[in-house]
Order: sequence, then structure tokens, then C-alpha cells
Amino acid sequence: MSTVDAAPKPPLFRAAVRHPAVVPVGAVLVAVLIGAVIMVASGIDPVRAYTGVVEGALATDNLDYTLSVFGLILGMAIVFAIPLRMGEYNLGGNGQLVLGGITAAAVGLYAPLPCALLVVAAVLAGAVAAGLFAAISAPLSERLGIPVIISTLLLSPIAVAFGSYLVRFRMTDTGSGVSQTPRLPDAAHLGTLGDLRYANVGLVLVLLVLVVFWLVDSRTAVGFELRTLGANRRFGAYGGVHIGRLNLGAMAAAGAVAGVVGAVMVLSPPYRFIDGALTAPGYTFAGVAAALLAGGRPLLLPLTVAVFTILQVGGAGMERDADVPRQLSEVLQAVVIIVLALRTVVEARRARTGRATT
Amino acid sequence: MTTPAVELVGIGKRFGAVVANDGVDLTLRRGSVHAVMGENGAGKSTLMSILYGLYRPDTGHILRDGRRVEFASPLDAIAERLGMVHQHFKLFDSMTVAENVVLGQEPRRSGRLRRSLLDRAAASARVTELAGRYGLAVDPGARVGTLPAGARQRVEILKALHREAEVLILDEPTAVLTPGEVRSLFAVIRRAADDGATVVLVTHKIHEVLDVSDEVTVLRDGVVTAHVRTADTTAAALVTAMTGRDVVPAQNTGRGEPGEPVLEVEHLAVSDGERTLVGDVSLTVRRGEIVGIAGVSGNGQHDLVATLLGTHRAAAGSIRIAGVDVTDASVRERRALGVAAIPEDRRGEGTAITMSVAENLALGHHRTPPIGASSGRRRGLLSGRAMRARAQELIADFDIRTASEQLPVGSLSGGNAQKLVVARELAHEAPLLIAEQPTQGVDIGAIEAIHRRLIGYRDDGHGVLLVSHEISELLALADRILVMLGGRVVAEFARSDATPENIGAAMSGADQAVRA
Ligand SMILES: Nc1ncnc2c1ncn2[C@@H]1O[C@H](COP(=O)(O)OP(=O)(O)OP(=O)(O)O)[C@@H](O)[C@H]1O
Ligand SMILES: [Mg+2]
Repeated sequence: MSTVDAAPKPPLFRAAVRHPAVVPVGAVLVAVLIGAVIMVASGIDPVRAYTGVVEGALATDNLDYTLSVFGLILGMAIVFAIPLRMGEYNLGGNGQLVLGGITAAAVGLYAPLPCALLVVAAVLAGAVAAGLFAAISAPLSERLGIPVIISTLLLSPIAVAFGSYLVRFRMTDTGSGVSQTPRLPDAAHLGTLGDLRYANVGLVLVLLVLVVFWLVDSRTAVGFELRTLGANRRFGAYGGVHIGRLNLGAMAAAGAVAGVVGAVMVLSPPYRFIDGALTAPGYTFAGVAAALLAGGRPLLLPLTVAVFTILQVGGAGMERDADVPRQLSEVLQAVVIIVLALRTVVEARRARTGRATT
Repeated sequence: MTTPAVELVGIGKRFGAVVANDGVDLTLRRGSVHAVMGENGAGKSTLMSILYGLYRPDTGHILRDGRRVEFASPLDAIAERLGMVHQHFKLFDSMTVAENVVLGQEPRRSGRLRRSLLDRAAASARVTELAGRYGLAVDPGARVGTLPAGARQRVEILKALHREAEVLILDEPTAVLTPGEVRSLFAVIRRAADDGATVVLVTHKIHEVLDVSDEVTVLRDGVVTAHVRTADTTAAALVTAMTGRDVVPAQNTGRGEPGEPVLEVEHLAVSDGERTLVGDVSLTVRRGEIVGIAGVSGNGQHDLVATLLGTHRAAAGSIRIAGVDVTDASVRERRALGVAAIPEDRRGEGTAITMSVAENLALGHHRTPPIGASSGRRRGLLSGRAMRARAQELIADFDIRTASEQLPVGSLSGGNAQKLVVARELAHEAPLLIAEQPTQGVDIGAIEAIHRRLIGYRDDGHGVLLVSHEISELLALADRILVMLGGRVVAEFARSDATPENIGAAMSGADQAVRA
């Protein structure tokens, strides 16, 4: 009874348990275990399957491709994480991504700019267009009371459809039968990294964005205010935080990052905006899951994004090497998300009971 | 002697390096009211949480009617007929009183299909019956969100009674109540005890203990320092057991000449769209004076001060702070001009419990040196080192008991979280301080310390607007006292004319007829 669990835990152990990385790592471990159980139940050797996943993602030949996907998912994770810091959910990543991509394509194709400037202008234009678009959600929430989670979700398909319309009817490559823009001129191609085929300057760009996000989050007044609103909105309002302005800034920044990711995708091989190609791989929602898993904390993002990248890219390798259907990697991603949701429930319960009184 | 209803034996509980309870024994006899006292952080709430199954003790055990019991969660405690009323009410605002009371143990309708439906009539009847039996005045059909604090607390008590609690745990039930509400609460407690219930009451107020309890246990630093029958003790003895010293009440003696006005309110009105919350209030606070606002809670005091700070909007009238019209200004602009505020709702508005003590102490100071910078190259940046250094200063200065400034505010005891809010707002050195219930939940030693600080703050030439349920607090501190009733200022007293009687009469409107 009461004396059984009496051994007081050493402080180091407690500090370790309280570390913010514990939850994501724990969730992933639990998911891996559950995944193994599912595999055993369906007659698959989990060791071989997992080896397939890891090798598929991390074998030297595949690492280049995996890195480029890592960069894109990381970008979309930041898109979700920035508003998450103040407790808002940006579910409009797809629309923002497409708008950034199509804008970058338009600048790349039509802007009469010299070589060095063209890439920069295309990325910037993508960022600005998507940033402005995402920012619409802020006044909608402050003035009309439409929650950001709703307005971003509803506005997103409009932007995606707008992109489709442009590529089908206004910017179509008439020679091919596919809905795609013409190939962008060489001047609009992102620089390569050494002799890598997939990962390029875009990855560096996203990593820079992550560093800026981390610095703003931890070292500036604005980052502090964002976190304060996320922890207790009324406390922030009482302390004099301008909620409307911060919301606008957070949404614009998130949109701009999505625009950069869209531009990076269009300015990389095959150097076209192809209808549906930006949203089809599901980077947006992999990013959402990774950001949720990290609780929006900038320094944890690379970790959680790596997990989802490995699952996503490794799925194909698993299919090839272990003859396990790649859908299983989707199951694993889903299990991570469910474990995460369970943790929220547990935490809510703990908040209700753990420190109930004063 | 009969077996006690509950016995806690040798209870120990630590949080990291902090020993919250250390070998605590507590015996609760059937049909008696047992008060638990102690300084902030002495371990009272921890002990109550263990009793109710919220925390598991590291050592010791619990006996219920002499049987050893183990509570893995409050559900087990409820099954053993324990009920707890938390200081932070756990009610659903959008549901009715009756629905809240029966939630979890609802009377169901009969019939196969309809069995899943709540029987509203039965719920309502049950509430009316319980309320009648214990003299708890509530309207079963009212939405909880519209009720004042005292009524919400009655709903919480009804909830425990509905589950047939025989042991009622009340953790600081009076911290947010007005004196009238406290009196009716105590009547209910006495009636329940006379009916055979067992009541544990945590409070900081000695006169309440002497009024209503049969026994007192005093905790200090997690250890029992006194256990006596109330009839055999005195206020002075209890203070010594709690603090280990005598506490001399702070008294506002003398006053300087009030200087120029820091707050001028003219014909201010506030409404929530339907009702008028504040109607036509005019008042002035000058440098070097403390202006008190008395009133039964829910008479517009809170809406008035929220409008002064800017979290509510004025419907009509004007507000000037330090001579500048701020009627349409944002909270940040007003704070920059010189307002600081200690809010009534410490948990909902005054702190973010998941953020650290240092961060909570920094909000509002984060754009000015030394933590931030308002201009120059470092503008907009934040210094984590300065934030922590500043927090350590305030923690020492205001005697906030915490193991580290990095811990979340949620791990602080209630009174220590209140000291944190007071420290942060006084540190602004703002010309105008709005203080709502500034000493709620703090122990007597800390009350005196905060009172002294407020008087010192005034003597340094600042203006203070003090809203309090405690007439004694207003009498001890205020230079002038305004009384609010129904959203209006209905009376004003100079300190020399103010007595508990004439303030009480004005609060209840009893003197209206005379003056009209
Ligand atoms: N969840 C927790 N994590 C860490 N420390 C805690 C936690 N809960 C309580 N403590 C510490 O345990 C001690 C006792 O706290 P407790 O809340 O029981 O005090 P209290 O007597 O109720 O004080 P108050 O009168 O201020 O409400 C305090 O030092 C507090 O900081
Ligand atoms: Mg307490």
C-alpha cells in the first residue's frame, strides 16, 4: 500500500522525466511497439520490416532524397508550429503551399529579371503571396469571431483550386497533355548542393527559417508574448499583449514559410508547377503531425520531422525489401498520432486532478 | 470513544526536493468541524488532495471508520462518501444548477429507450429537496455561468451532498466570499455537522476558525505544530503555532497630502450588451491616497476595474490616467501610461500556470530594461538571464516560497502564487495601482506584509484603488471608501467616518431609504 511506492525519486530522474523531448520520443517508441504487434498479427516479421524502413530511408543511396523530403516536411511543420505557439491551429497549409508555388512559377516564367535575381524574386514572391493569403484568417478571427482553425481549413481549397485553374487555363504548357506549366528557365533553378541530386539550396533555406523561428521564439519579446497567449490568452490580454497584431503576424509568417516551401518545390526538378504535385505527397499533414508531436517547440521539430520523414520515405523501401505493403507505414504514422491524442487526454485529466486546489 | 470517521496516519509527501507533508496525523471525528490552518505552502492543500485521492502519499495511510483504505483516484474517495469543494470551482457554466449537481449520478427516466435520458424533473426536485434540507439558497434552473461566487460554491456543496458525502473537505472556501456569504456557508456547515457529517475546513482566517470549528490542526512546513480543541485556544496561540512569532496588524496611520489626480473617471457606464453592469460612475484617485471600493460581489466592482485596465470596453463616459484620456486606449497603452493591476481571478487572468515563475514575473516587464529593451539595438530582444535574476530578486523580496524560479507556477501553493502576482504588479512602480482582493489566499503574516507594502506604495506618492470583500481590510488601508451597489457608487465615507456598520448598511442598500 502506501509505503510500496514510497522511494523518493532522485532529482536527476525527475528532471529527465520532465524534459520536453520525453513525450515525442515516448510516443514514437509506443507507436513502434504497437506497429510491431500489428505486423506480428498479420504474419509479418517486424524486424525485417523496420530494417526495411530504416534502410529505405537512410541507405547511402537514398539519403539524398530523404534529406530533401525532410526539408519540405520540416518547412510545413514550421508552418503549423508558429501559430500553434499562440494556441491557434493553421490547417490551411495546402492552400498556402500551392499559392506560394504558383506565384513562384509565374515569377520564374514571366518576370524579366536577370539570372541571380530571378530565383530570389520567385521565392520572395511566393512567400509574400502565401503570407498575405494566410493573414486573412487573423482579422476573420478578431473581427468576426471565426476561429483560425475553421477559416484556414475553408480557405485552403479555394487557393488550391485557384492554382489548378491557373495551371490548366492560363499557364499551361501547351506541348504536353498534362496540366503543368512550361519548364522554368535555368535562371529560376535553385542552386544545387555539391553533387546531390535531390537536396538543394531549398533545404538550407528551410533550416535557416528554423533557426530564425527558434531565435524569435526564445529570445524576443514577440516570441514570449506568443507563448504567453498559448499558455493563457486572458493572462496575455491582461498583461497588455496585442492579440490581434500577434495573430496577424503569426499567420502571415506561417503563410510565408509555406510559400517558401511551395517555391522550393517548384524551383526544383522537374522545374514546373504540376497540378496536384505539391499537395499529393502529404507533406502538409506530416508537418502538422510532427509539429503537434513536438508541441510546436522549434528545437524538437527536427527530431519529430525526422521520424515522419523516415516513415514516409522508408515505406517504399520496406515494400521493396520486406515485401510489406507501404500502407503499413501510413498505419504507423496514424498510430503515432493516436498515441499523441491519448497523451492530450491524459494530460487534460492530470490538469483536472493533479493540482486541483490551492 | 467512537471510531473517528477518518484518520490520516503518518502522511508524508514530497515534490522533488520539497517536503510538503511529513508524518502528518489528522483525526476527523464524526459530527465535528475540523479546521486546518498554516502558512502558505505549509502543506494544507497537499494533505487535502491526499485525503481526496488526488495524490498518493509517499508514506502513511488512511483509515475510514477504522478500516484501512487506499484511494487511487477521487472516484474511490467518493465511493467512501468523501466530498471535496475546490477553491477553483469545477462546474460547467453553460449548464443549469440542477444538471451540474447531478452530473455523474443522474436520475434516469424509465423505459428502455428513454433510460439514457436525464430526468430533469427528478434532478430539479432532488436539488430543491437537498437545498431545503441544508438551507442552501439556489435556483435549480439557473445557468451556473450567471451566478456569483457564493452561489457557485453552494452548487459545489450540493453536488457533494447529492453523492451523499459524509465527509466534506473544503479548501479555502471563504477566500472568494463576501462576509454575508461566509455567514450562510457556516450555517450550512454547522447544520451538516449537527446532522452527523464530518467537515474539514482549510482557512487562513482565525476568526472563522474560532467561530465555526470544534478542533484545529496547525501545520508548519509540512509538520503538525498544534492540535487543540477550539474552545481551549486563542487567536494569539494559533498565530504563534502557525508562524512561530507574533504578527502585528498593519494599520494605515496618518496620511500625506494627496497630490494631483492619477485616475479620473467621469460618468462611466459598462454593459454586457443586455444588462448595465456599471452605471454612471465618477471617481478620482490622487497620488498619495488609497481609495477603497466596498460592495457585495457582483455589484459592478470587477467590471469597473476591468474597464479601467482596458480588458473591458466602456459604453459611455471617460477615463483619464495621469491626465491622459485613455477611454479608447489599449491595455498596453494604459499600462505604459502608468497602471498596474492585481486581478481578482488569479488563475484565469493573473497567471499562466504552465509557464515558469520567472516568465510569470516577467509579463509586462518584458519590453523594458533590464529584461527587454524599448529602444536601441536590443529593442524587441529578451534577456533570459535578466529575467531569472529579476525573478530571484522578487522571490526573495516578497518571500515567494518556491524551490526554483524555473518551476511552473502551477506547482506553487495558492498563497505563494498570489504573492507572485502582487510582486509583479508592485514592481511596475506605476502611478496607479488597481488592487482587487490583493490578499486572497495568503496567510496572516503575508497579509500584513502586503498591507504594509500598499501603505508604503501610497506614501511614496502613488495612487491605489483597492477593491475588497473584507471591510476590515478597507478600514485598515483606505483613506476614503466608496460603496458600490447595483453598478453604481451609492455612498462615500472618509476614513474617520467609516465603520463596519455604516459600510455594511450602504452595501446592502439598507440606508437608501434614509438618505433618499
Ligand atoms: N505539484 C507540485 N509540484 C511541486 N511542488 C508542489 C506541488 N504541489 C505543491 N507543491 C509544493 O508543496 C508545498 C505545499 O503546498 P500546498 O499547496 O500544500 O500548500 P498550502 O498549505 O495549501 O498553501 P496555501 O495556503 O498557499 O494554499 C509548497 O512548497 C508547494 O510549492
Ligand atoms: Mg492551498
